[in-house]
Amino acid sequence: MTDQKTVTPFQRHTSSWYESSARDRVRLLLDAGSFREFIGPEAREMSPHLDLFDLPKQFDDGIVVGRGMLGGKPLFVAAQEGRFMGGAFGEVHGAKLTGLLRAARDTRPAIPVLILFDTGGVRLQEANAGELSISEIMRALVEARTAGAKVVGLIGGRSGCYGGGGLIAGTCSALAVSEHGRIAVSGPEVIETNRGIEEFDSKDKSLVWRTMGGRNRRLIGGADAFVDDTIEAFRAAALLLIERAPAFDLDMLKAEQARLTERLQRFGDCADAVDIWAREGIADARSVPGLSTEAFTAIADKAREPRYDAR
Amino acid sequence: MMGWNKAQAARHVRRAAGAALAKGKIVEARDTTRLLEAVIRPGDRVCLEGDNQKQADLLARALAAADVGKLHDLHMVQSGVVLPEHLDLFDKGIARKLDYAFSGPQSTRIAKMLFGGKIELGAVHTYLELFARYFVDLTPHVALIVAVSADRDGNLFTGPNTEDTPTVVEATAFHDGIVIAQVNEIVDKVPRVDIPGDRVDFIVKSDKPFYVEPLFTRDPGAITEAQILTAMMAIKGIYAPYGVKRLNHGIGFNTAAIELLLPTYAERLGLKGKIATRFALNPHPTLIPAIESGWVEQIHSFGGEVGMEDYIRARPDIFFTGIDGSLRSNRAICQTAGLYACDMFIGSTLQIDLLGNSSTVTTSRIAGFGGAPNMGCDPHGRRHPSDAWLLAGKEAAPDMPAPLRRGRKLVVQIVESFGDKNVPTFVEKLDALDLAEKLNLELAPIMVYADDVTHIVSEAGIANLLLCRTRDEREQAIRAVAGYTDVGRGRDKKMVQQLRERGAVRWPEDLGIDPLDADRSLLAARSVEDLVHWSGGLYAAPSRFRNW
Repeated sequence: MTDQKTVTPFQRHTSSWYESSARDRVRLLLDAGSFREFIGPEAREMSPHLDLFDLPKQFDDGIVVGRGMLGGKPLFVAAQEGRFMGGAFGEVHGAKLTGLLRAARDTRPAIPVLILFDTGGVRLQEANAGELSISEIMRALVEARTAGAKVVGLIGGRSGCYGGGGLIAGTCSALAVSEHGRIAVSGPEVIETNRGIEEFDSKDKSLVWRTMGGRNRRLIGGADAFVDDTIEAFRAAALLLIERAPAFDLDMLKAEQARLTERLQRFGDCADAVDIWAREGIADARSVPGLSTEAFTAIADKAREPRYDAR
Repeated sequence: MMGWNKAQAARHVRRAAGAALAKGKIVEARDTTRLLEAVIRPGDRVCLEGDNQKQADLLARALAAADVGKLHDLHMVQSGVVLPEHLDLFDKGIARKLDYAFSGPQSTRIAKMLFGGKIELGAVHTYLELFARYFVDLTPHVALIVAVSADRDGNLFTGPNTEDTPTVVEATAFHDGIVIAQVNEIVDKVPRVDIPGDRVDFIVKSDKPFYVEPLFTRDPGAITEAQILTAMMAIKGIYAPYGVKRLNHGIGFNTAAIELLLPTYAERLGLKGKIATRFALNPHPTLIPAIESGWVEQIHSFGGEVGMEDYIRARPDIFFTGIDGSLRSNRAICQTAGLYACDMFIGSTLQIDLLGNSSTVTTSRIAGFGGAPNMGCDPHGRRHPSDAWLLAGKEAAPDMPAPLRRGRKLVVQIVESFGDKNVPTFVEKLDALDLAEKLNLELAPIMVYADDVTHIVSEAGIANLLLCRTRDEREQAIRAVAGYTDVGRGRDKKMVQQLRERGAVRWPEDLGIDPLDADRSLLAARSVEDLVHWSGGLYAAPSRFRNW
């Protein structure tokens, strides 16, 4: 096991999740040739709002939904395209995900759902419809989980998982995140605009990543698995989390509430993620961003978060 | 009575006034404004050091805090108008007249102040012109400079960011001016002497390190496929046929893409050792993969680049380093190298007109010129031959007898037909002309003049202006690579076809390039983290570029 990042650049590029499109992620993640898309681009279900702003539309409104196989077992999958309007939720985009989750709610026996988040949040140009879709998605997601479906989020795209996407991720059964993945509700620029640059310097990428990035989210229990930026690693994590995600019942919710309360008590006064890591008992907290995946995973697995009775 | 040493006498008086506040040469930071008020006289020409990279920020703040009753009507002669304090001087009346070269971050405010009459403008220069004028008609009375460390005799160590300092000091110290340096620390012995102490009158220790902008760091993660396509075309359509070995790159993403395609795409074309071996260039982090792959033989730099210090120290065969091991940069010398010893300049721009003039101003911003026009011009004084230079000269004047023919420097503009926010790059009339009209400027701020440009590369193709014989051909060649902009759609299909047959216009298919091959997987590094890996951990990416 190496402690420092030593992977050569070319190796990393074999199947980068970060660099791939939504369609490539779905195609390469699932069992070969197993994906069947619902309401594909040929249906041309496009945003009814973007014309008003003279903005380009996409035939799939920036999200791919459908059904396929993973490890020989069926599941539903949705993937956001972060390169179209930052993967933002619009009316059609949101409705496709809502519909997929309702299908999961109604499918017997229950099969899992994978959501490949890559989003800046709600599309400003269709704000009301987008906001409504966020609440519809969260409701449908909880209904699907109540019906027994495990909903696993995979986060490692260019646009991260922000705004309503961050809220939806919070309702998932489990999340896997890569180093480049970011999870939060308010984005860096929003925080800086509202609270000032002293509170959060959105241009300081290192600050952004150590606050919202995959490593910190894993260490504070905001994500359940930390993975390399490869499609293979996300596939392995998806299989593992489908297996391990807790059932959705009252005991689990109580445990999660207790975990979050305790987390706030333990870390609420920390000014920087490095303070949290130090308090978590990590010896050289500053070295965390530079650790190899293996070394980091070993540390994260020793840390207390998350506990699998929670979430 | 005729005297021959009036300036010397004045210098003694100024120095004595400053010495009253100093212990030896050292002045406490809190006394800086008093020092400046004692040494500077109303109406003086003052050089406040700062360029597109490092800034004498403590001295700028101290000067802006001066009593306008004591200091007023100064004539600022300086490379960069970059810090807010640089313009506060004019708002407060401490300074009145300005001669400068670059104003990136203050480009909007400076335009407003020029328009409002707050600033009396001498001229907007290129770096080399301004440096030249320091020795002819803009010699500073006082220079306020910046260095990393000083000893008690005033010997200065400027570290990797030497940049303009030797030039400014040369002009000031050797013509009876006063030189004041801010330094990060005072030491017993400086690691190397960049400025000898007898040229420095006063030293102020700053409580925090001077500001340096990492202006030349481009995140490979932000390079688009269109930019990769332009880079592929430039490599295959220009670097290869001319065999360009000695060159300068601009700071845009297109040229960063070229740097990252050298060890991949260009290597596959068999071009290693045949192109891009010697640079007049800042230490671009995106050049690390090419350096590590053995492409680059030598680089001389205008300035340093934040985070590249340890990498440069470990690669002294490639960079110019001092006895202390760190980079020695020098803007005036590197600009001269870029002007006379390079066969190509390639850089990006915001607007190109139908003749090929280009500009980076818009109606509300005056960003200045910096050094790009020193690189992006054909130096008529050049006499030494090289293959690339001779071939370009032959294309431009095929009928001239070879011994009488000038060569041509390749001056290449590399753009996308639509720029930021989908604004067309190709226009009928440059915004620079409207601005010149609005401000009553005698010259429109043109970055690269049409008669210097030899090639324009866009995602639509390459226009080789050396092969255009008439104004009409030139216009059609430019329209041919202007894509779907209005300028592009206004092209004459028949004439463009003829230009393509002659090679004056080459579209991707004419070069054997399939636009669908332009993929980010071609980049030798696709993130700043990849660059760190390539450097073996020696490149310390600044916090703002680290997405980990």
